[in-house]
Amino acid sequence: MTGTSPLISIEHITKRFPGVVALNDVSFDIQPGELHAIVGENGAGKSTLMKILSGVIADFEGTFRLRGQPVRFRDTRDAEQAGISIIHQELNLVEDLSAAANIFLGREKRNRLGLLDDRAMEWAAGELLVRLECQIRPAQLVRELRVGDQQLIEIAKALSLETDILIMDEPTSALTESEVARLFRVIGRLRERGVTILYISHKLDEVFRLADRITVLRDGRRVRTLDRAETNPRQITHLMVGREIEAIRLGDGRQPGNVVLDVQNLSLPWTGHARAWRLRGISFTLRRREILGIAGLMGAGRTELLECLFGSSPEPPRGRVVLEGRDVHFDHPAQARAAGIALITEDRKRLGLFANMSVGANITMCTLSEAATAGIVHPRQETRIVADVIQRFDVKTTGIHAAITSLSGGNQQKTIIGRWLLTRPKVLLLDDPTRGVDVGAKAELYRLMDRLCRDGLGIIVTSSELPELLTLSDRILVLCEGRLTGEFSRAEASEQLIMEAATKRG
Amino acid sequence: MLDLSTVRQFLDIPGVGLPLTGVLLAGPLFFSAIRKRLEGGLLLAIAAVLLLTTAVDSQHTYWNRYTPSAVDILRQTALLGIFALGAAVVIIAGGIDLSSGSMIAFSGTVCATIMVLLAPDEMKNAQPIGLRVSIAAIAGALFVGLLVGSLHAWLITVIGLPPFVATLATLVGLRSLSRAIVENVTASAWAAKSNQIQIFDQQFRYLATSVWIPVVVFLALAATAWLLMSRTVVGRHLHALGGNEQAARLSGIQTDRLKWLAYCISAVLASVAGVLYIGEESVADPQRLARGYELNAIAAAVVGGCSLQGGVGTIPGAMLGALFLRVVIDGVAKMIKTGADVYEGLIVGSVVVVAVALTQLRQSGRRGARFFAGALGLVTVLNLALLFGALVWLFIDIFAPGLVAAAERQWGRLFAKVVLGLFAAAIALLALLLARFLTARRRYLAGQPTFPSEGITATKQSE
Repeated sequence: MTGTSPLISIEHITKRFPGVVALNDVSFDIQPGELHAIVGENGAGKSTLMKILSGVIADFEGTFRLRGQPVRFRDTRDAEQAGISIIHQELNLVEDLSAAANIFLGREKRNRLGLLDDRAMEWAAGELLVRLECQIRPAQLVRELRVGDQQLIEIAKALSLETDILIMDEPTSALTESEVARLFRVIGRLRERGVTILYISHKLDEVFRLADRITVLRDGRRVRTLDRAETNPRQITHLMVGREIEAIRLGDGRQPGNVVLDVQNLSLPWTGHARAWRLRGISFTLRRREILGIAGLMGAGRTELLECLFGSSPEPPRGRVVLEGRDVHFDHPAQARAAGIALITEDRKRLGLFANMSVGANITMCTLSEAATAGIVHPRQETRIVADVIQRFDVKTTGIHAAITSLSGGNQQKTIIGRWLLTRPKVLLLDDPTRGVDVGAKAELYRLMDRLCRDGLGIIVTSSELPELLTLSDRILVLCEGRLTGEFSRAEASEQLIMEAATKRG
Repeated sequence: MLDLSTVRQFLDIPGVGLPLTGVLLAGPLFFSAIRKRLEGGLLLAIAAVLLLTTAVDSQHTYWNRYTPSAVDILRQTALLGIFALGAAVVIIAGGIDLSSGSMIAFSGTVCATIMVLLAPDEMKNAQPIGLRVSIAAIAGALFVGLLVGSLHAWLITVIGLPPFVATLATLVGLRSLSRAIVENVTASAWAAKSNQIQIFDQQFRYLATSVWIPVVVFLALAATAWLLMSRTVVGRHLHALGGNEQAARLSGIQTDRLKWLAYCISAVLASVAGVLYIGEESVADPQRLARGYELNAIAAAVVGGCSLQGGVGTIPGAMLGALFLRVVIDGVAKMIKTGADVYEGLIVGSVVVVAVALTQLRQSGRRGARFFAGALGLVTVLNLALLFGALVWLFIDIFAPGLVAAAERQWGRLFAKVVLGLFAAAIALLALLLARFLTARRRYLAGQPTFPSEGITATKQSE
């Protein structure tokens, strides 16, 4: 083989899922030893492509050549044998096993009797972790580790395979700045060893710092592959989105009213955990016609804070919550709903949607008794309520009996917001509401939140994307490891300041 | 006042009561069958089994004595269907109730025990016990259903036991408790310890020996359950609970109360069935009564389209599932005449596997999958061949008595059928292996590239 022939050739790969074409005739090459970034919006097909390359998806159309040979992996083990390993975006760790046991899961080292050789595994894991510059004891249980450290275990696991092709799917989403810097040093060393890296990210600054070439995917098609030297972030964004993003200016002239929610010294214990508190001593207020943003890294306690206010926290919180001048305490979301608080959950699929129900049933889930007498539902009345919501929020659906799963992410989100607005809340809590929603729908959701805010709601919104919070919020609170480490008004806030507060220790 | 006995006589005329219940049963089922594919498929399957039984049965019982046959099937379906409805409700709500067989035995025991306590002499001397005693006994039986359902709900929602464990405990415990109660009460009432209580009262027994009472009770309960599950807020919330429990809780639905309701429905329906069963058998024998019926109930619900993952299923589906199961069991009994109850478990097991496998394959669209690939596939080929051989060994008398006679002359009485079974197994084995080989060859010729392990090893070595 000559040095110029591509290591991986992707030729006309198409992958159909029921109702969706996730990849449509995608072709490009990857050269040996390069760091090839793959960028694209949510739903562009990045993850599907990586699953095909790493053997997770075995069934697709087209050809995938490795070192010139056509291959088709049956499972990830085939891919690992062929020298490809992947670091998944979501953590795939067994929490009750040690770091070392997780790293060698499925490839356990054994002694002469065929029994597990924990000492050899821990020793080897220790070496790997030293190479990653982190201070995790190999025998430590994974559940005791911070999220960032857990992600490093995933990376160590992939490194332990000694493969020469490494796929990284959004590896920095849970890392602090110093951890990111550490990861980049590791990537540098891997490249010196000649490892080829496929790097998936939507953070363009990382991509431009690391990549040799960049491939842009959009709606399952490859748009272009470019050398980093001959392009710029502006062009890439343009290619990813396919249109100019209109600059959205929201929040001008919003006039916050009276205090609707007053949280004093809120704490949430964490039984059996080294940190002892999920949240500690948090106080803030929320006014009518105000959007309060909550920033923080993964594991900072954003979701837990909203759960405390909604009565769905894993343990009862301590502290005072005053809603419109009255002390409230919720043991169950039903009480929070009755008091006028609504929560749009973070993980829509797992915590929000009823996947085997229709659009209509999903919309009326909280308020069905309003369309019923003596518990018996009037279908016609329900239809009227649903039709009204669909029209008000401009939900794109083929009808109220359509399956909820046939809707796009943005429209599913509007359905759930509609479900909760039917309860006539005073305070609306939104936990990362634009996750898994495409750009156009994001803008629509921003305008919807602005409209609801102007109509008199108090809104608290969390997000993993800072620009989003800066666009939406009147004020931004920053959490770090369960503590409130910063508060900024719209005028003061900047990405720089928020990141500093979000990574402040102690 | 309306004379009950006239109504009774009128309804017991086969030409009246039977068509009436038939129309009541078939009407809603046909209605839903037009709308849903699954139920249409089940109706076809039921018709097919009925036709097959009529044809294969050497006495053609279904054709020659259709009224008694239909009466029997209807009554058995009604009894099974009553507690299968409960299983369906719990399964749709995302749980499982393994206790219904024991709950039937327990409610029957409680019913009989109350009769003994209130009318010990009449019970002993086979005299009528009076309407009041019967009503008190039935009420008591239904009440313990509520209590057991509540116990399940407490164990599951407060203690946090998985439903499987909680109802497994009562599955074992309630039957044992029932036996202790019967021994105790017979010893103290008549100074003669017994493990069963005979029930002679004709009025009470009429509950189950008449055709129409079990069927009408079943239809009324089914209609109520159907209304509950498909037309009410509670029913919608039960579906939501089964479909996504966390999302249901986060929507402000009181999931714990719903579970309480679901387990109570299941236990009370089992109690109703228990009362009818002791009427039918004229004895409360907790050792034997409804042993293993919990699986028949779950099977009926699952065959009728309820998903054990929860959130999916219909009441008409569960009704048809119960009917299908009874028709198959009855069909086999008609075909092999005697000792058919031995095969009930085999039938229920096979029906569940085939019905659920067909649904799964249709949903996942894996019709063209390779079922016998790899080492597990080889063992499965052997497994299926041996199973087929065993079935031939057991049933060949019915289908080919001539062949059996010839074989007996050749190999003797003891080995004749075994040898035939082995032959059948060998033929099945060869056929399956051939099919496996042909599929593999076709895939190979179609040029599906497989993992080129040789190529990769070569590269590894060159490094």
